[in-house]
Amino acid sequence: MSWSTHDLEPYVFQRKLGLGVAFVPLLAGSYAPDILTKWFVYGFDFLGVHLRASDPAQFHRGWPGVGFTHSLAFGLVIAGLVYYFTRSRVWALSFLIGCWAHVISDIGDTVGVMLFFPFSTDHVAIDAWAYAGHLGRMTDAAAYYSGLGWTWDAFWAVCALLSWRVLTTEYFRTVIVPADPLVWQKLVRRYPEGLLLTLYRAMFFWGIARLTAWLIWAHVFNDYSFDLSWGGPHWVDAAGN
Amino acid sequence: MRTLVLYLAAGVVYVAIGVAFPGFLYSAVVCAVYLAVTVWAIPERIRRLRSR
Repeated sequence: MSWSTHDLEPYVFQRKLGLGVAFVPLLAGSYAPDILTKWFVYGFDFLGVHLRASDPAQFHRGWPGVGFTHSLAFGLVIAGLVYYFTRSRVWALSFLIGCWAHVISDIGDTVGVMLFFPFSTDHVAIDAWAYAGHLGRMTDAAAYYSGLGWTWDAFWAVCALLSWRVLTTEYFRTVIVPADPLVWQKLVRRYPEGLLLTLYRAMFFWGIARLTAWLIWAHVFNDYSFDLSWGGPHWVDAAGN
Repeated sequence: MRTLVLYLAAGVVYVAIGVAFPGFLYSAVVCAVYLAVTVWAIPERIRRLRSR
């Protein structure tokens, strides 16, 4: 899995595609494959009971499981529904781009994704970094930010920082708002522009800030060692190997 | 420039809190609320108080 990559990719695509995409569905698409499933991968406490998938990696990326959310077909189906309900090609296309970017990014780990589900349940993976979601959120963070995963985040952080113009007030006024009559054009009539601009920038801020924070947490305040070899870090018991 | 400094300061504080309490880093919603408060609501409140 990838972390800050999913926060930052939408801003980079936004910079490249301009008025051809709408930011809200682009971001929604980028989060869609994980948004309803990740909580059960890591587990959570409810009324004193810890609820968690018995095989988190299988649940997250496999079949049986909800691995179909990480397929090209899932993006197409949901984008079709988005078009059906909104009648906006821009919204549907934006969602599709965001969703496919997420799916393709997740090919990088050792579990990979069922890219061609439902035609195939084979996982497509390049095994560049260890999948450690089954070991809990903290170990997952430590592993991800010790292997090649964090360089993937860093790559998107650099691309996003080079796309800094998408964060300006002028860009928000001349591209983000005009491109999206369904959300931003309605919101700007009701709420202060400063607040909306802050919310528009928030996931960029989150991506850069949590990349920085997890690196410091793992390597300054804890002793997790970097292992930038292919498939690393090898000190963690990765799923999918 | 003033806006950039505000975001950088908010970022430094966010990272510091996140390193001390990693649970703070988990939620996009928490981050959006944090950012709205630190770079918009508080400066906006101060601006209004000054203009009185």
